[in-house]
Amino acid sequence: MLLVKKNISICFKILLLIGFGYFFWLMLKITLEYIPLDPNVSFLMIKQTEVHERPEYLPFFYTHVYTSIFVLLSGFLAILRKNFGVKNFHRTAGKVYIFLILICAAPSGIYMGIFANGGILSKISFVVLGALWWFTTYKAYQLARQKRFAEHKHWMWRSFTLTLSAVTLRIWKVIIVYLFHPNPMDVYQIIAWLGWIPNILLIEYLISKKHI
Amino acid sequence: MKILHYTLVSLLAVSLVSCKKDGKTDGKTKDSLTAKRDSAVIPEVHKEYYGIYTGEFAGMEKMTDDDGSEFDGTVYKRISLKINRITEDSVYGQSIVNGNQRPIRGIFNETSKSFVLDEPGNDKTDGRFEVKLAGDSMTGKWNAFNKKAVKAPLKTIKLAKKEFVYNPNFMLDPDSNLVDWSNPKDFVEKYTDSDGKAESYTISKNRVASEAVFTLNASKQKLAEKDIKNLRKLDLEIIKNSVFARHGYSFKKETYRNFFEQTDWYIPVSGNVDKDLSPMEKENVALLNRFIKYAEDKYDSFGR
Repeated sequence: MLLVKKNISICFKILLLIGFGYFFWLMLKITLEYIPLDPNVSFLMIKQTEVHERPEYLPFFYTHVYTSIFVLLSGFLAILRKNFGVKNFHRTAGKVYIFLILICAAPSGIYMGIFANGGILSKISFVVLGALWWFTTYKAYQLARQKRFAEHKHWMWRSFTLTLSAVTLRIWKVIIVYLFHPNPMDVYQIIAWLGWIPNILLIEYLISKKHI
Repeated sequence: MKILHYTLVSLLAVSLVSCKKDGKTDGKTKDSLTAKRDSAVIPEVHKEYYGIYTGEFAGMEKMTDDDGSEFDGTVYKRISLKINRITEDSVYGQSIVNGNQRPIRGIFNETSKSFVLDEPGNDKTDGRFEVKLAGDSMTGKWNAFNKKAVKAPLKTIKLAKKEFVYNPNFMLDPDSNLVDWSNPKDFVEKYTDSDGKAESYTISKNRVASEAVFTLNASKQKLAEKDIKNLRKLDLEIIKNSVFARHGYSFKKETYRNFFEQTDWYIPVSGNVDKDLSPMEKENVALLNRFIKYAEDKYDSFGR
């Protein structure tokens, strides 16, 4: 019986690994659209007002795009909580994850949130998301330094589920457009919230049920 | 050395011949231009008939019904005939239909007030117009030179003389049909029948434009990104092509013909109006093109 349970859990882990690999690949492709540097490509095609009126927009944008892909990868490697025979692997991956978010990805994300597409509703969502992202990551960092690892783990999961909102919001977008064909900015407003609220609710549930 | 010399000579000869050829074809296609240059010599007659005659161009075509059976149906297109010059023995003009602008040349019979006008004949859709004037209206028929090459080799023509004027205020009529009938998309839908068996069927859906096409005028106002951000691709395309329609562009795409032919102001007069656009219109078109591309690339894909 124990063996069956173990097998199921291994299968589940492999599925998660494949799933993450697939979506990481998609995110990497999106990131690579911005290489070489072109201020009028992809998402920036509909952001020319900001690009022209705010000289700081592009630096923030590129900071967010280029660091976030490493945040996603290092976060995934750290959340596995294994060293894979490499000394301090978990610690190093975790440090990369935390500092990239605290210094680069979250502040630039909050800045971009202020100018988000889809009006005040999506602006609020992205700014709150960015602030929570920074805060949960900072909290996780503090707890690790204080060696309170059980709580560190909880906050790390909160932080990482917000990181994964980058993936989930794009999945929701594909689903919603496929089902309802709404206007582009209406999709934006919906996925701005749908991208991270269910994620954080799920993690809070798992934490309260002591699954994490 | 000698060989090189010969090669050079023969190369020169070849290039000379090809130059000559170019010159010849040039002369052929620019008939109306040459005619203008000669105008001092050959007197023009009946200038009162010069102008643009626009209206319907109707032919019977084989169509397929929903159940697959074939039947003959009339297909209406909008055509413009331009009469540019009439002399004792020749008439020069242009025919414009479906974005295909062709020079026409022929004769005018004064007593019967009728024209016989031929398209050049080097395109498979070329043919002969035989039309008669009655006041400001022009009626008659068109026969394809190559009866096998076109769907409807015989077409009837009903035109009225119209003055083409560019007016930035022209918009689609608010009671226009906003369905794009020419680009149906197939969707597979699933349902579970009463026995609990899952079945799927295919239905085709048509795109529908929004009310925004009645309010946003890219010929009158400088559009900003925020004005058009929430629009679907079809809206963006119509707002953009309204600019071209106002300048008399003859659309190759059926979608746009169907939308603009619902108005009475749309007169297709040219297959290329790029140089007629105002600087603001050009800027708006560039902006709209960017959003159309974004809508194509990103609207339904994994990304932003």
